[in-house]
Order: sequence, then structure tokens, then C-alpha cells
Amino acid sequence: MSSTNASLSEAERALYGSRADVLIPGAEGMPSATQAGTHTSLIDDALAARPDLVADFKASLALGSVEDPAAAIAELHAKQPVLFDAFSVLTSGAYLMSPDVKQIIGYPGQEERPVTGDDVGDYIGLLENVAARGPVYRPTVVS
Amino acid sequence: MTPEETKDSAKADVLIVGAGPSSAFAAVELSKAGFDVVVLEQGDWTRRTEFAGATKEWELKAQKDWHPNPNRRGRPADYPIDTTDSDVNPLMFNGVGGSSILYAAHWVRMLPSDFQVRTMDGIADDWPITYEELAPYYGRTEVAMGVSGLAGDPAYPDEAPYPNPPMPLNKIGHKAALGMDKLGWHWWPGPQAISARPYRHMQACVRRGTCLTGCPEGAKGSVDITHWTDAIANGTRLVTGARVREITTNSQGLATGAAYVDRAGVERHQAADVVILCANGIGTPRLLLLSKSAAHPDGLGNSSGLVGRNLMMHPYAAASGVYDEPLESWLGPSGHAIQTFEFYETKQERGFVRGAKWQVMPSGGPLGLRAGYSDSALDDVWGENFHKRIRKVTGHTFEWGITAEDLPDPDNRVVIDPTLTDSDGIPSPKIVYKSSENTRKLMDFNLARAVEAHEASGASEIHVTPLMRDCGWHIMGTARMGVDPTTSVIDKWNRSHDVPNLYVFDASSFVTCGSANPTATITALSLRAVEHLIAERRNQETPR
Repeated sequence: MSSTNASLSEAERALYGSRADVLIPGAEGMPSATQAGTHTSLIDDALAARPDLVADFKASLALGSVEDPAAAIAELHAKQPVLFDAFSVLTSGAYLMSPDVKQIIGYPGQEERPVTGDDVGDYIGLLENVAARGPVYRPTVVS
Repeated sequence: MTPEETKDSAKADVLIVGAGPSSAFAAVELSKAGFDVVVLEQGDWTRRTEFAGATKEWELKAQKDWHPNPNRRGRPADYPIDTTDSDVNPLMFNGVGGSSILYAAHWVRMLPSDFQVRTMDGIADDWPITYEELAPYYGRTEVAMGVSGLAGDPAYPDEAPYPNPPMPLNKIGHKAALGMDKLGWHWWPGPQAISARPYRHMQACVRRGTCLTGCPEGAKGSVDITHWTDAIANGTRLVTGARVREITTNSQGLATGAAYVDRAGVERHQAADVVILCANGIGTPRLLLLSKSAAHPDGLGNSSGLVGRNLMMHPYAAASGVYDEPLESWLGPSGHAIQTFEFYETKQERGFVRGAKWQVMPSGGPLGLRAGYSDSALDDVWGENFHKRIRKVTGHTFEWGITAEDLPDPDNRVVIDPTLTDSDGIPSPKIVYKSSENTRKLMDFNLARAVEAHEASGASEIHVTPLMRDCGWHIMGTARMGVDPTTSVIDKWNRSHDVPNLYVFDASSFVTCGSANPTATITALSLRAVEHLIAERRNQETPR
């Protein structure tokens, strides 16, 4: 029976981290999944946000080789697409919640940035071109 | 009083089913005019604090809790919809505010030709009203919703001033506008029910960009904010958790109210002199088809056989451009930065009729609506390529979305599913919907032009999505308006041809659908119809 309890044992957490690093290795100047803390608090936050995926996530951990995370991921991808999708969405979602990762990719999150000015002056010249080309609608036919 | 009726459900002057935009506009006007109004809504209120936009989990929650597809979201208020015979999934929200809770607030008028498709293009049907008849009501909806925009768009015959100045185009809008200028194509800042300054019950937009999953600031013009508090202050009784199973009728063939199930599972009845359906283009025909009786064997108001037919859902395609320079493309509102009507009208040489409206919208965060990519090769999407892709597209991408006109086809329809039910055991709707050859040609043409638009703007990569399955935001046409009772369900005042005290105010009434976002038209029609109802109150036939 699959579990809907989102808490991970230490063994599950370690196993998860090794597999998460297969999907998201340290490369291209970016930290790996475990370097970003995906296997610690971030995956807990991701699971709390998506309780609907907990059972499939836990089921994904129960499959494949414990010793060979790359082989386990390949098997999951090839044979269990639903479980793979749960695992990979949670992993990328958790990774991209990391403040360090956001900083490196230049994404501040969905930030508050109230409007401080009007930019109409920046494009009014272009709009004058639009207006000069004339109407683009067909008027009502009056019978 | 029948056994199901309680003191709370004392007979109302007007009963409205559903609490979305068409209902909200009607309820304010009716209650202001002194009518006793009861509204039955199957969902509940959504508190601002429930929206996830200001949390780090936003993108994960957007894929489930706030997904617009009710089959995927699966909240208690949602009813399942059988979509196995449909090219497109219908999208909606069930709760106070209706789909305005999750919509992008594009507040766009239809164009004059949209009301005369038969006259101008020789296909489909004309509406029984013209653009000019609806224009004053459009103007009033724009004021009610605090629409921000810029007057003077040459896509329209009139220069309607908006109550708020346009929102900034942001970098994505500027980039797109430069491309359109280079090509000599129409574009204009997108009018939207979102404002940079506080307006009536609406807060100032902070450009968080999470409009499609609910606005945590209360800045988006959803009708739970803009209308319902006023309607309730006027005396409207809004009953949440009330799932209507049937419109009841008497021996004279008049509507007498609605039977519904409350959240405790108790069957109740709300009596009323007049019933207005505002349950959207699927919920309304579902209810009419479920309301069979000896006098109405094919469903209520269905002597034409057209209830549920001519379903239109605005097929949607997209061309996504990736740009080398940073565009901050997560920045809201979302909303639309700019729109174009360049390819809206019929041009014979294109080989299809009618057209599309395009809009530029932000692309959100890095996760987006990213699936697990189980259908892609591992190395293509994961490993080093995961990092390359994220860094290349995040903040560097925007989409030209293409909203295509859908022609009415009686074979595209809402029917009652023979086996599927909602959580109260009420039969669910099934939709049958296929894209036409005209739509495919229209989409191919517009996508090719959208690629050119990105090229003109300097995109380094362009990706095309021909038809999105999760795109059925606009559900229209399933109880169409018309003059002839044999070819339409309601008259030009949104009243049933068959049942003189039954009205349909939602987008089921649309004869054709243009390709403009429909909420402005839905609410303008609602205002127009309810004012007529109020003016004619002394002549309104009611059950004795």
C-alpha cells in the first residue's frame, strides 16, 4: 500500500538525494540538487504543497536499485512515467524554491513591484504609427 | 411550504444560479432596484490569504490547487466533466466570483463584425443585436471593473475612455511592440480589469504576475471583490455550498424555483418568481437538460433542441519566443501587455473565415506548467540540459497567445453523461467538441504570422504549440440568443422562448464568439438584459 504520509525517514531522504542529483547534477555553474538542499527542507516543503503527489513520490523511492541511482532513475523514466513525473516535478519544484538557485538564475520570484510611473511616453510614437494606418475593423452593416 | 423548504428559503423575487460575473452584475442592479434576490452558488468564498502567489510554493500549487481545469483541480465544489470526446478541456472556477477568480482579467470588447457574421461572411448567424446597441453597456462594465487601458484603438469605431490609465507594457510588451511596428501590424496596450492604483473595492496592482492563480493583493477585478459585497449590502442573499440539481416548473410551464443540495447533503428548494441561469456555458445547459418534465421532455427551454449545442471554446495556440536579453518576463500583470487585431477579420485570400486575437502575456516562473517530461529523453531535459534550459528561458521568454474564433457547430455540444456524477449524485456533463478544418487553417496561418512577429522582435528561438488542450477558458453558445424560437433558445433580452420567467445571462447566450475574451461581453449583455427585466417588471409573467 502506498503511503500518504509526507515525512521521510533518514534512509528515504538519503536515497532521494542521490536520485535527485541524477536529474539535477552540479553543472553549468549551478549547484546540484543536494547542494541546494533539495533533499532536506525543500522536498518537505514541496511535498506539503502537493499532498496529491506524496503517494507516487514514495512509491518512486521504493522502486529500482538503492545502490545505483542513475539506473533507478532510468528505470523509473522508462517504465513508470506517472511516478517519474511525480518525482521530477517535486524535485525541480523543490530545487527552484532555493533562494540560492533563484539568485544564480536571476529570478527574484513573483516579486512585488508596484507601478511607480507611466511608460506611455516610451511607446506613444509607435502607437501613432498604428493610428496612422487607420481602422482595422469592419463597421456594422446598417440594413 | 414543501418539506424541503425552510424559513431561509422564503420565496424570492429573483433566483440566480451561480455567482460569477454575469450573476454579480445582475444581482447588483436587481437589489439596487429593490428586488429580493437569492443566489445559489455551489462553491464558497475564496479568501485572499488562500492564494499561493506570494509564497515560494506558488508554482507547485498552481499545477493542482489553483489549476483552471476542474477535473485536475478536483475541489469539493467542482463537478467532473467527461472530456474523452473533446479536443479541448474546459476551464473554470466554481465559487463566489466564478471563473473571474482565476481569469487573466482581459477586458476586451467584441468588434462590430462579431455581431454580423452571417451578413458579412455568409456563415453562422447574426446576433439579434449590434455592437452599437451593446457599446454603452461595455462602457459601464469598464467603469465597474476599473479597467485600465488607452483610448483610441483603431480596432474599434468609438473612443471609449477607460477609468484607469494603461498598466506598463513592461519589457515584454515593448519588445513585442517593436516587432509589430517593424511589420506594420496593429497592436495596442491590452485593456484589463487590473489597475496600478486603488479603485473602489480593488487594491493597487503590485505586478506579482500570479493573476491566473488568484490575486493575493485583491487587485484583480474579480467580481467577488468588485460586486458581491455591494450586492449583499443591498440585501441580496448569497447562499454558498448550494448545488442546484433542477429548475422546477408548474403546470403552466413557468419556472417556480430550483431544487438544490446543501453541503450537509440536505435537499432544499428555493422558490422564486423569476429564475436567471448564470452557471456558465456548461453548467447552464447541464441544468436545463437535467430539468426534464412531462411538459419539457427534452429539457427545460429546449423546444428548439439547441440547448447544449453549438458549444464554442476559443481554441488557443501559442508561439513562444526566447530572447537573448533579460526581459523580466515573470513581471505582472498577467493580464496582457499588448494585444493585436491585425488578423481578426476575414480576408478571403487566406482560405478561411474569421480570425484571431493575439496577446502578449508574462511567462511566469522557471517551473511554469512544467510536466515531468516523462515523454522526453532523459538527457534532453535533465542533467546539464536542465540548467542550460532554465538559465536560457527564465526571464527571457514571452508568448504570443492566439485566441481563435470558433464557429458554431451543432455537433459540438454539452450532453448529460450516462454514468458520471458529481459528489451529490447529480449527473455530470459530457462535452463533445472537435476543431473544424476552418479552425486548423486559421491556427496554421496565425501561428506562422506569430513566428514572424517574434522574428521581427529579434527572438533567438521560437517554439510553437499548435493547439493547447487546457485552453477552454471561454465556454459559449450552448443556449444561443435569437429571434426565431426554432433556431435559438433565448430571445434578444436573454429570456427563454419557451419559459417566460426563465433567463440565461452567461456566455451560453452567444450566437457566435468572435475571438475577443468574452467577460466584457458577458457582463455587458447581463447589464442590458437585467435593465430590461427591471423596466418590464410589471409585464413579467410569474407563477401564481
